[in-house]
Amino acid sequence: MAQTRLMQDLERQGISRRDFLAFCASMATLLGLPKAAAGAIAKAIETDKRPILVWLEFQDCAGNTESFLRSGHPTVAELLLDTLSLNYHETLMVAAGDQAESALEDTVAKHKGEYVAIVEGAIPGDIDSGFCTIGGRSALDIAREVCGSAAATVAVGTCATFGGLPAAHPNPTRALSVADAVPGVKNLINMSACPANAENIAALIVYYLTIKRWPPLDQYRRPLFAYGESIHDGCERRAHFDSGQFVEAWGDEAHRHGYCLYQMGCKGPATSQNCPNVQWNGHTNWPIGCGHPCIGCAEPNFWDVMTPFYQRLPDVEGIDSSKWLDPVGLGLTGVVAAGAVAHGVGEVMRYRRGHRPPPDDGTRTSGKPREPDASDHEENPK
Amino acid sequence: MNAVPEDPLRINLHRVYVWELPVRLAHWLLFFSIVILAATGYYIGNPFFGGDLAMARVREVHLYTSIVFSICALARVYWAFAGNRYARWSDLIPVSRERLRSVWVSLKFYAFLGREPDEYVGHNGLAGLTYAVIFGVYFVMIATGLALYQVYAPVGSPLRAFGFLIPLFDGLQVARLIHHIGMWAIVVFAVVHVYFAVLSSTVEHVGIIDSILSGFKYMPRGRRRRVGP
Repeated sequence: MAQTRLMQDLERQGISRRDFLAFCASMATLLGLPKAAAGAIAKAIETDKRPILVWLEFQDCAGNTESFLRSGHPTVAELLLDTLSLNYHETLMVAAGDQAESALEDTVAKHKGEYVAIVEGAIPGDIDSGFCTIGGRSALDIAREVCGSAAATVAVGTCATFGGLPAAHPNPTRALSVADAVPGVKNLINMSACPANAENIAALIVYYLTIKRWPPLDQYRRPLFAYGESIHDGCERRAHFDSGQFVEAWGDEAHRHGYCLYQMGCKGPATSQNCPNVQWNGHTNWPIGCGHPCIGCAEPNFWDVMTPFYQRLPDVEGIDSSKWLDPVGLGLTGVVAAGAVAHGVGEVMRYRRGHRPPPDDGTRTSGKPREPDASDHEENPK
Repeated sequence: MNAVPEDPLRINLHRVYVWELPVRLAHWLLFFSIVILAATGYYIGNPFFGGDLAMARVREVHLYTSIVFSICALARVYWAFAGNRYARWSDLIPVSRERLRSVWVSLKFYAFLGREPDEYVGHNGLAGLTYAVIFGVYFVMIATGLALYQVYAPVGSPLRAFGFLIPLFDGLQVARLIHHIGMWAIVVFAVVHVYFAVLSSTVEHVGIIDSILSGFKYMPRGRRRRVGP
């Protein structure tokens, strides 16, 4: 078989075919495919057909780009980006200024309905104030044009998928997710998390190259292969949760034993992602693995609803619910019970004053049940 | 008509069949499931003891009990359309002028502002409205519970379909908070409910506590009463 461009590139970078196949096998595993799928994946990646890709950055920190460039198999993943024809990427491209803008315009014009748009960062909805203006155009304008004519749009990172940090309260720029900024965008795939896991982005691209379709999605349009299970269900500390063994203070005996971080505000039970299995930085570790609770970064509005990060329940108007909800509930129950007793005393006094003499109840248990008669149905004579 | 007509006390009371079996059954199953759900739910929120699979077992009890609770709540809603007039939705949700008036009269009476209680064979307007509201809370609890559960439902479980509920609550953490607040709302309701049941049995002498066991209420003859619309 003649060497494809990718294989030549890999060889030049000192990556053996064995390493390449290992990458394909790990992608197959991540996608939940059988081992034999690795061959199909290798074949799909090797072919020289290069889908066109533009990578837009709006209100972002380039964290997803950084994460992707430092993925577990960096060189293969980078070459995977190379496999896709990356026509525009502000952080990576050599071109600048008008040259860069014309690259984007050309792609949109020449490959309308064919290219894939990747969006990183939230899009300010307040266009009058000039937030995030690129080449004189508002981010909203660019997103609507570029995503609007794309074959598919992949929103990477929580800012692009759900608004993320820019959209957190009070959302000064009225930041929007891609779904909200570009209504009716075709084939939107959300890769949430802060940053999106590079392995998952690679797997999404591999899935598309191999199966020629986009993967099944959850209710937030996130691929089920990466977001189909909660962190809690896959957690290595789940046994400690099940046995009621919890860390109660940083650095306590339980913390040093690697017990469950539920009491320290771990948002694993509210978060769906494959972190426990895929982990980060090339399977080095992941937050819970090094003793830090999950902050729920893959979920919508996580800055607002997952905070405080070290408390189990969200705040209500700045009040710590985890600390106050039960005492307030218990107190309210006590106040209501006391009120009931006081009311009861009042009622007894009212009846003692002869408001209405209680009938003798000694008669209740004897006597045949009487059929309801007209007197039961009489209307109020008032 | 009366077995011993010469006894004046006996003539003054008569029995009316008010609460049918499904109503009583739902009531007591809801009672027991709420006790279990509140206790286990409190533990899940504040695990105050550990031990061999403590949390797993408490959660298991909570989840299975929630099935009983949900079925009872749904069955009671069905019975609000199929049951007798005391069980019907119109005796719970005050839409008629008559029932709205009853809410007001009962409220005034129990605030010591009115002199006459508003007597019904079934619920008075205020009681009916309270039960309608607490059933609303039950369904919020069921919805938040399903939203929280569906994350753990095994792949292929039909309960996974309830994922659509999560965005409605602005995420699982808010659902968790609502679920926790709902528990306290039900506990407070329970205190009020038990108080009024005791009040009406011991002071007002209408035998409400007996009635939820036997189904029969004792209504004094000749006293002003209503049976509802």
